[in-house]
Amino acid sequence: MFQYEFMQRAFWAGGLISLIAPILGVYLVLRRQSLMSDTLSHVSMAGVALGTVLHANPVIFGFLFAVLGGMTIEWLRRTYKTYSEVPVAIIMTSGLALAMVLMNMKTNLNKSFSSYLFGSIVAVSPSQLMIIAAVTLIGLIFFILLRRPLYSLTFEEDTAAVSGVRVKLLSFAFAVMTGMIVAAAMPIVGVLLVSSMIVLPSAFALRFAGGFVSASILSVATGLTGVFSGLTASYYTDTPPGGTIALILLMILLVGIGFQRVIQQVRNRRKGKAQTILLERTKQTIEEGVFK
Amino acid sequence: MILCSLRNIVFGYGNEPVLRNVSVDIHAGEFIAVSGPNGAAKTTLLKLMLGLVKPWSGSIEFTPDFSRSSVAYVPQQASSFNSGFPSKVYELVKSGCYPELGLFRRFHKEQHALVEETLKAVGLWEMRSRKIGELSGGQKQRACIARAMVQQPDLLVLDEPVTGMDAASRVRFYKWMRKVTQTRGTTVIMVTHGLDEARDYLDRVVYLEGREEIDHVPV
Repeated sequence: MFQYEFMQRAFWAGGLISLIAPILGVYLVLRRQSLMSDTLSHVSMAGVALGTVLHANPVIFGFLFAVLGGMTIEWLRRTYKTYSEVPVAIIMTSGLALAMVLMNMKTNLNKSFSSYLFGSIVAVSPSQLMIIAAVTLIGLIFFILLRRPLYSLTFEEDTAAVSGVRVKLLSFAFAVMTGMIVAAAMPIVGVLLVSSMIVLPSAFALRFAGGFVSASILSVATGLTGVFSGLTASYYTDTPPGGTIALILLMILLVGIGFQRVIQQVRNRRKGKAQTILLERTKQTIEEGVFK
Repeated sequence: MILCSLRNIVFGYGNEPVLRNVSVDIHAGEFIAVSGPNGAAKTTLLKLMLGLVKPWSGSIEFTPDFSRSSVAYVPQQASSFNSGFPSKVYELVKSGCYPELGLFRRFHKEQHALVEETLKAVGLWEMRSRKIGELSGGQKQRACIARAMVQQPDLLVLDEPVTGMDAASRVRFYKWMRKVTQTRGTTVIMVTHGLDEARDYLDRVVYLEGREEIDHVPV
């Protein structure tokens, strides 16, 4: 399949996005913002529609809308502190409504929109691939350079602020980064499935990883596995690549959860007695050792 | 020496003030408890001091040579906020060194030794390889306290730090804080409802009452 240039580009695009989207997913899940990627993809679609209506570059408009949407969500999140899901609902419906109205203004738009809705990784152009590569590079620099303040921010915002992290600035930068990654991932799986590439690998990794770094690495490995196997399966079975990738990632997650449960049950049965003794010992150690 | 001075503070949520004309002086090296009935704005007073919220009126001033970066804070139920956080106990406590290390500086032997010493002090050394989600509420609280302590702060602010701890642990904790103020000169301010247990180890109690008055009770 690699004799085709479009398949080479598809693997490059998928591989590059899989290096960064799952890491973003780890932070989004832990910050209870899993739906943010879904929301921004809808907003980005409104940008694509506006770009097309204005005869401008729809990809650039999609990017701008996703980034602005991310910043607006962050701003609203600070306004609706108690109900953090409200901004997501507001922006998602606004984005979708705007996209629908704009699409209606140009009747021939509906057809070309299916590629944005469901993705067309095999139709990724060289210029789109360059954008994806640039976003991946910026994203990797962002997450590696700011890993310590991001860790503190994700654990607890007030503590992070007191210890000197510029919480507002970092949160806005994170929202911008989210918008960029979502907009870059859209050609691969489309608006409707973009969150599958971001959230599913991280949801899998967070169940199994012992530490923060290992969660990030495992999520990237899961993302790469899902994308590469999804593209291969899609090529040989002639199924839509976006949907195939999402289904394989979902399968990995479900198999992982099932496997974990079976292992846990076997362990519980074997260690029933041993565990009780261990707990008693641990309790003893704590009582002796607390605040020496 | 006065470390922090709050003068005529007025603050509220919505249109309703919860603190009216509150004035408190915090002296360096003191171990102070902030107490009062539910809704007396004890946590709010801490947040004002930490700069997390701005007062409607009044002033909060720190001594000129005091650095804001030498403050550590353990919020109320900090541990339960993100109990699924994918970190082992050691990794979480180690992150307390981040303000000192900045973005790039690597961990050295001294930092590892400090983390080890602090984890042993809070009785979690044996559990350093466990994920924080696997710990009990009291153990998580101690991990958060250890994280704050490895910052080696000049001002340590704790909001109900002994929640979830058994009686023996609470008393040991107060003793430890007393020792920290005496040996390191750290100023410790904590919100607590357990004044009876803590009284013997405190320098002073700031008692918030009815949102309007404030009493300073020397111990």
